[in-house]
Amino acid sequence: MASIYESSEMIGAFLDEVEEQLQFLEEGILELEQKEEKPELIQKIFRVAHTLKGSSSAMGYDKMKNLTHEMENVFDKIRNNLLKIDNTIINVLFKCLDCLRMLKDDYLENKNDTKIETSELLEELREILDCKSNCVCKENQEKKTEAEKSDSYSLTDSEIFVLQDSDRSLLKSAVLEGKSSLVCQVKIPKDSLMKATRACLIFNSLNEIGQVIASSPNIFELPDDCEVTLINYLIVTEMSSKELKSRAEYELMDVEEVKVSEYMPANVKEEKKAKQNLGEEKQVKCKKGNSDKRCSQTVRVDTEKLEHMMNLVGEMVIEQTRIAQVGNILHGRYTKDTTVDDLMGISNHISRVVSELQETVMKARMLPLQQLFNRFPRLVRDLSNSLNKDVDLILEGGDTEMDRTIIEDITDPLIHLVRNSLDHGIESTEIRKAKGKPEKGILKIKAFHQENHVIITVEDDGAGMDLEKIKRSAIEKNVITEQAAENLSQSEIVNLIFENGLSTAENVSDISGRGVGMDIVRNHIDKLNGIIDVETKEGEGTKFTIKLPLTLAILTGLLVKIHDETYALPMSNILEIVRKPVSEIESVNKQSIVVIRDRVLPLIWLHDYFGLPRKKNKKNVFIVVLGTAEKRFGIVVDKLVGNQEIVIKPLGSYIGKVEGISGATILGDGSVACIFDVVGLSKMINNKVVKESINIRANNEVKDVDDKNSKTTEGI
Amino acid sequence: MNDLLDIQFIAYELANEKYALKISDVFEIIRMQQITPVHSNKLFLEGVINLRGKVIPVVNLHKRFGLPNYTNTKATRIIVVKSRDEMIGIIVDKVSQVIKFDDIQPPPEMVAGIDGEYFEGLGITQDGVVSLLKIEMVLYE
Repeated sequence: MASIYESSEMIGAFLDEVEEQLQFLEEGILELEQKEEKPELIQKIFRVAHTLKGSSSAMGYDKMKNLTHEMENVFDKIRNNLLKIDNTIINVLFKCLDCLRMLKDDYLENKNDTKIETSELLEELREILDCKSNCVCKENQEKKTEAEKSDSYSLTDSEIFVLQDSDRSLLKSAVLEGKSSLVCQVKIPKDSLMKATRACLIFNSLNEIGQVIASSPNIFELPDDCEVTLINYLIVTEMSSKELKSRAEYELMDVEEVKVSEYMPANVKEEKKAKQNLGEEKQVKCKKGNSDKRCSQTVRVDTEKLEHMMNLVGEMVIEQTRIAQVGNILHGRYTKDTTVDDLMGISNHISRVVSELQETVMKARMLPLQQLFNRFPRLVRDLSNSLNKDVDLILEGGDTEMDRTIIEDITDPLIHLVRNSLDHGIESTEIRKAKGKPEKGILKIKAFHQENHVIITVEDDGAGMDLEKIKRSAIEKNVITEQAAENLSQSEIVNLIFENGLSTAENVSDISGRGVGMDIVRNHIDKLNGIIDVETKEGEGTKFTIKLPLTLAILTGLLVKIHDETYALPMSNILEIVRKPVSEIESVNKQSIVVIRDRVLPLIWLHDYFGLPRKKNKKNVFIVVLGTAEKRFGIVVDKLVGNQEIVIKPLGSYIGKVEGISGATILGDGSVACIFDVVGLSKMINNKVVKESINIRANNEVKDVDDKNSKTTEGI
Repeated sequence: MNDLLDIQFIAYELANEKYALKISDVFEIIRMQQITPVHSNKLFLEGVINLRGKVIPVVNLHKRFGLPNYTNTKATRIIVVKSRDEMIGIIVDKVSQVIKFDDIQPPPEMVAGIDGEYFEGLGITQDGVVSLLKIEMVLYE
């Protein structure tokens, strides 16, 4: 039978909801583990389990329903203080969470025929319920009956209903209109099945008689199988109490007893007291109300549509720059024509609108990093448990927003870094004690905006890196030669960790140590045009700083000229621009180098690679210092044109991959400029083969340049 | 060979030699514009141009066939062809006309110093012989 629950939209909505609720659940359980049990927290978790149960049973997904049902039972016991939270419970809950995730993932493929086994977990959950609750149960039963008794007595004089402001005003206005507010107490027979459902039915039939404002206990939050027998309904009606009673007895079936009494709005003092008691619960309610409201104001949009919008905006940005440029030319040509002034005005206005549009579309693609950060508490918890380490995780700046695609791409590298920090960085408790450090290690992940970038730092107060060890390992694994290793500076040694195949871990574990991790981290960050920096102090800790662009589609570029060709450099890779006398450029092993701020940087003359003549008779040259991942180098440019928003266009498959160039962009005058791929440029330095072959080709055309080049070398 | 007789061709000139392309291969013909060089290892790739917001590559057929390089005159055009779902511009010295051929001969081994493999055949007109290029082969091999 094809039901609407089998339609892809329903399934999509269901999976989305489950994902969201699981996220809440995870947060909740993590919080539960750390803090004392707080009623509002447990209430929240309980509600999540309840929602999950509801939606999974609506979809006919029995396994998930059963599992959440048992979980709900456990939470219910915790909520009613029948169960103390301990580690075993938390662990079982986490297992449930994982199982739910698997169930969710499996649903797409196998629907209800999932092969994932839940019976074991169900057993465990039941065990918890049985062994722990039995002892407390009896005691509680007594309490409950007692409570029932006291309930019936205190009916008229205390505020037993949880009223929200809207309810209260409703009550007030009803009373003003001459209606009476009555409390209808209904007793459901003890042997009746599905008491919660019955309570709802009673609620509905009473709603026909008058208006039910509230019930105590709140029937909408009752678990299906709760053993509630006495329910109070607060009703606003035109009937008197006697009328209501007879009417209710007539209408309601399968009810043991109906009592009706006047509802006395409690005096201020009691109200306050009740407020304190119920404050927490109310808070949760308010929050829920808010989120409901927000939901209705958002629309789920296919990311492809957003992508397309971004492309269109990109086109507009280009055309806008062109309009402005043409306007300027016309303005120069027809100074007296006021139409041109109009054109300029319109062009200015459009440029404002376009840039605002661009910003808005970009923002629409942004997501807070929080959703990435949410994964870390669990990861850190599991890892530190399995490694027997005690680690405090500090997350800062989760509200920092970034492009969705970048968040996706940065997830893996960050997880790698966190794993590394936990595995190699932070020492075990004993070692830390011996070293005189606080027993608990600290892992801090921080995100913040800096100009057009997002900076993410991962910092631990662990052992730091042993430079000698890295060096030795690099030589052993043939990453560098012994000779080369001798000449490396400290930062260069640290950067060796990004090389493929390098690991300083003595043991390969399932967590890390295979020597591929940092290599992957670097590749990912390269791909995003990001920069990674490492600071480490032996014995004190390590800090990774990742600098990422806000978005990928449109970037700010620096336009430069090499000979008379215009090129764009992604601003995010530019560290600084310096002007240096040509005489300060030196050459080592045929590689030009320059010292900038006490740092030796390799220098690329792209002129040589492109077969263009170097500018002669110039005392100073502009050097743009670039950084990609951990590499730093400079390129020589002839002229700086300025910075501009550029839209990346692919060169197409006919041209294919061109070394050092990532794409092209269209400039304000309609001409095309190539965009340098900084990673590709950095590879040019090491790639001697390419260099030589190009030199041979370039030799004929730029012989004079080479001559001059060798002369300067001799001069030095 | 006979089905080629029904098709219209665009005749153009490279270094005073007459060539033609199937009209269905041609996307549009534009005037010469500023070409941004791309320094790749494809030697006959002249660079890229902006065709209404799209970046498309431009190929120098003179270099491709080892002819004396073109000089930019008023008659110089870029023929934009569509090949393998991609637009590629080729520089020609002059675009003359749209023609149909009465007779098409299979290509000899060499045509004007170029390997015969690159040609569909030779079109015969009253004014002389026109070489019909296999554009895909020229671009990709």
